[in-house]
This record gives sequence, structure tokens and C-alpha cells, in this order.
Amino acid sequence: MDISLNGQRVDVDAATLQELLQQRGYEPGAAIACAINQQFVPRAQWAQRELNNGDRIDVVAPITGG
Amino acid sequence: MSWTVAGVELQSRLLLGTSHYPSLQALGDAVHACGTEVLTVGLRRLQPEAGGGSSFWQRIQSLGCRVLPNTAGCHSAQEAITLAQMAREIFGTPWIKLEVVGDDYTLQPDPFGTVEAAKALVRDGFAVFAYTSDDLIVAQRLRDAGCAAIMPGAAPIGTGRGPLNPQALMTLRERLPDAVLVVDAGLGRPSHAAQVMEWGFDAVLLNTAVAQAGDPVRMARAFAQGVDAGRGAFEATLMPERQAAQASTPTVGMPFWHAVE
Repeated sequence: MDISLNGQRVDVDAATLQELLQQRGYEPGAAIACAINQQFVPRAQWAQRELNNGDRIDVVAPITGG
Repeated sequence: MSWTVAGVELQSRLLLGTSHYPSLQALGDAVHACGTEVLTVGLRRLQPEAGGGSSFWQRIQSLGCRVLPNTAGCHSAQEAITLAQMAREIFGTPWIKLEVVGDDYTLQPDPFGTVEAAKALVRDGFAVFAYTSDDLIVAQRLRDAGCAAIMPGAAPIGTGRGPLNPQALMTLRERLPDAVLVVDAGLGRPSHAAQVMEWGFDAVLLNTAVAQAGDPVRMARAFAQGVDAGRGAFEATLMPERQAAQASTPTVGMPFWHAVE
């Protein structure tokens, strides 16, 4: 399945968002938040949220800001 | 003198950004020096090999301030709404500094996208701190949308040029007497901060002017003093300006008056 992860095309076999994050090496307790196709996906839904071919997934974390 | 925004009482009227400091240590020292209680933070894409970006966030948490996450870089209402929802989950706060960029060169805010996003976010329970231009009508729309604070820029972001249009800023204060108004962006000197505080603004939000100073810690303190001086002057009521000179020292009893040789 082809998806876009943070703007990069990747080929993955993850069924859910949770699996994708694990496969890509994101730490389970990390201060991150996710969106699929520009829609916010709450952390509580990561394990249930199924991925589809062509999904655009964004994973963000805190940085400095003005 | 304390003030209240989004139902929270704060002592400091200086909100501070966290970018461009020489080090996290300098940021922490600047925070302590100026006594700010609110720090702005951002969100960006994270690659897992970057390690979670947690050192910055842990440092911010250790400073004991409230955080005001921003939606900097968003170009549409939908982008800003989604990023605000992500920020609420990560930072555990409904506070959001709403920024919708309308022009990448000037970083001028998009008033239409900002108002649209503000309405949606307020409905969703956010306390919206809306970065906007000094346009009165946009500010009125943001007030009507239920924003917790309306934050006009004094000058383009990062320029440090100070209030380019004092008349517009003073008009905002005059026409929106009950709104929380925070001057955000473009302040470069403590005297700029004092100036807008003299006009009755509730607070200022700074970043570059402190972070890029030769000595960020001393500059943070200087800005805090400027904010306090300006607020104190506003509360004390400035004297009316006059066109003509008027002697300070009484003329009655002046010796040699009408003295004839």
C-alpha cells in the first residue's frame, strides 16, 4: 500500500495508524499528534483507524514557536 | 497589576516566543528574567529518527509557564483547525494562537481564513488568540466570533520596526474597549512595548526582539520593565498634550518682575 508520510511516499503493509507508527519507529509515548488527509485523528483512535491506499499522514511534534 | 485572558488571571503582561534563542539555557534564563507566564510554541512534522523532539518540550514544561501553541505556517482555515486540534492533544490546553498566513513574503495574515477558523475553533471549545492585522473591521469580526484575545501586529513579523500605524492601533483600543487586545509581532525595542502599553493594550507578545538581542536575558528584563512602565502610565492617565508652552514654575511672586532701574 502506498501512502504519504510527512510528505514522503512510502510503501507499507500496516493495517492501522498505530501499526504504521510502530513500524516506522515512533516511540509509543512520544509527544506526537496525527492527521490523515488533513483531518485530526485523536490518539485514542490510532489502534482502530484503518489506512487506505493514497492516505496522506502527518505526524507532528513540539518545536519552538513565536 | 494583574489581567485576565480566557478566564485565567495573569500577573505578567509579556507573552514570550521560544524561537531563535542561542540555546535552551538562554531561553530559560530569559523566561525567568522577564517573569513571563505564557510561552508560545509550535508543531512541525517529526521523523522518528529525530528522537521525538522531546528535549525542547521537556525544557518548556520545566519552566512552569502556560503554553500557547500556534498554527504558524497554515495557509487555510482547515489547516489551522486541524493543527489546533493536534496541538490541543499534545499540549493539553485549549489555548491556541491562531495564525493563517495570507502572503508568504510579508507573512501578512489572511483575514478571511482567520475569521473562518476562529468561528470553528471557538465552537469546538478553544480559547482563540487570533493574530491579525490592525484592521478594525476584522478585529470586530474576531471579537464577535468569541476570540479570547485579538492580537494585531505592530509591524511585519520579525522586523522589529515597532508600531508602523499608531493611529490604527489606537483606534482598535478605542473601538474595542472591552476586548483583550495584545500587540503581537514587529516590536523591536522596549520603548515600542512601552508605547503600545501606554495606549491601553492589555499585553504584548514578543519573540525575536528578545531572542536575537546581544544579551537575550537582559533584553527580556528590559522588555518587562518597558511593559510595566507603559501599563503604569496608562493606568495613571497621561497628561493632555498642548500646542503652546506653559511654564512649570509659577510666575506669581517672581522676583525682579517689572523691576525698574
